[in-house]
Amino acid sequence: MSEPDIYLTTVSPSAVAQAVRSKCPDVTQKSMQGNRLELIVPPSRIRDVVGLLNELISDALPESVFGIDLQNDRYELIYVFWSHLNRMLCQLRVSLEGTVPEVDSVCDIFPGLEWHERETHEMFGIGFKGHPDLRLLLLPEELSGKYPLRKRFKTDRSRLSETGLPEARPGSKEAET
Amino acid sequence: MCPEIVDEAAQVWFGPQHVSAHGWATKLTIVGDYIVECDPNAGYFHRSAEKCLEFRNFQQGALIMERLCMLEAFLAEYPYVKAVEQIAQLDVPERARVMRTIMMEASRIHSLQFWWGQFGAELGLFAMTLWPWVDREYFLDAFEELTGSRHAVSYSAPGGVKYDFNEKSIKMLERALDRLEDRLPKFRDMILRSPTFKLRTKKIGLFDAAQGLKWGLSGPNIKACGIPMDLRKDDPDPNLAYEMCDWEVPVTTNEDHPGQCDAYDRMSQRFKEIETSASIIRQLLPQVPEGPIIDPKARAKANRLPEGEAYGRVEGTRGVTTLFLKTADKAQTPYRAKIRGPCFASYYSLKHLVPGSTFADFVVIFGSLDPYPGWWDR
Repeated sequence: MSEPDIYLTTVSPSAVAQAVRSKCPDVTQKSMQGNRLELIVPPSRIRDVVGLLNELISDALPESVFGIDLQNDRYELIYVFWSHLNRMLCQLRVSLEGTVPEVDSVCDIFPGLEWHERETHEMFGIGFKGHPDLRLLLLPEELSGKYPLRKRFKTDRSRLSETGLPEARPGSKEAET
Repeated sequence: MCPEIVDEAAQVWFGPQHVSAHGWATKLTIVGDYIVECDPNAGYFHRSAEKCLEFRNFQQGALIMERLCMLEAFLAEYPYVKAVEQIAQLDVPERARVMRTIMMEASRIHSLQFWWGQFGAELGLFAMTLWPWVDREYFLDAFEELTGSRHAVSYSAPGGVKYDFNEKSIKMLERALDRLEDRLPKFRDMILRSPTFKLRTKKIGLFDAAQGLKWGLSGPNIKACGIPMDLRKDDPDPNLAYEMCDWEVPVTTNEDHPGQCDAYDRMSQRFKEIETSASIIRQLLPQVPEGPIIDPKARAKANRLPEGEAYGRVEGTRGVTTLFLKTADKAQTPYRAKIRGPCFASYYSLKHLVPGSTFADFVVIFGSLDPYPGWWDR
């Protein structure tokens, strides 16, 4: 049996970092521990960097894209790729700011990230420019635009009046949020 | 689509009431017998696990994780435990490492037995459903003897495991393995050589490895294409004991379509997975060393964690299962926890995999990817 095509080229984490930084000099490398590569990417460069990873790493598995709410209208997006052939875990970090944060979609390069972006959009309100389908994925209609994974979303009190339960005790975990 | 086809097309909701849909719904656009468009709908099972984790402490978090996928509870809780161990820098005693690995593999066998029974039911081979489900009971009995619970086992804890092996639980695990090793080869030959089964699964749901990886597929779905992608070997975990035994990553290569896999290959791949797991357990059982099962200071250390980030990963039954954990300084609960379930990708990939196939084959394609809604809805 002939080996599958994606098995042909190997590349080391440092070579990937070098190639990315020579194409996009404003990308910074955070750290490299063993097989883990971490790059900090400006929002405008994400399509270039993901496209480059797609070219360099022949068997890149798009593991996930997710948001983190850093509060005060600051968000962080993390893209994770794994390569079995190179035993390499590649993390891209993108910092976003503003009330309507937005970044370019990369789901045409890696279709597997389409739903991850869709989920990040409904949970954090981060827009993905060029995404074909940003309908709600997991949430019911009434939570549209509420962005429940943002820190300012009130988990237990937001719909408390509908349940008829008493308000949370002052000082309890629920009251703090 | 050209307008004439659209005029003829009918939209059918496959599920949530359909028996083979197991409570989730996929919108299919059908022309005659053929599916032209597939729109998987997630969300029927969404219980906001990630938000829940933000309100649970580091001992409780694993309990939510195992409830996402009860079939592989030992494996599902592990990424969380692993991430906590990384941030708290806990050492795991060797006895606990080996015991964890044994139970994770037993959990994998149990989950795969459940799957191939269910796959039989989806194909209309109802007798096939009950064969593995009887064998699976023996594993559940062993889990019950060890942890007190058949499904929500809550076994791993940061820094070790919660329950120690005793003579009876080892005996029960061995009995389950004996029964498995006796019956599995017969079942495998019976199914994989059956002309009916071949007609139903060969050349159905065919994709190649490069395509599958782009969609985010992992685990047995990629190994069935002949690529030994397995985190147990690729990203060795110091808190587990896979290096203590001799095993190879099982792969399936099909001469008819090298580098690709169909539903039949995925079935035969999962039989190989069961055999590999059984051999790992057989090798590890006599090697369980004496000693403590948990680091005595682990509970205090995992009470409040320093500021940090960790990425816990494990090769689940269905593929790469990960958890990203971010903590604030001296926090009792995670700042952010992101779960990556392997079936998120397999459910999504139906969108690309299904169009062009017949309506009757939809269940075969869907079932052969080993879907579990807990992993995509969370």
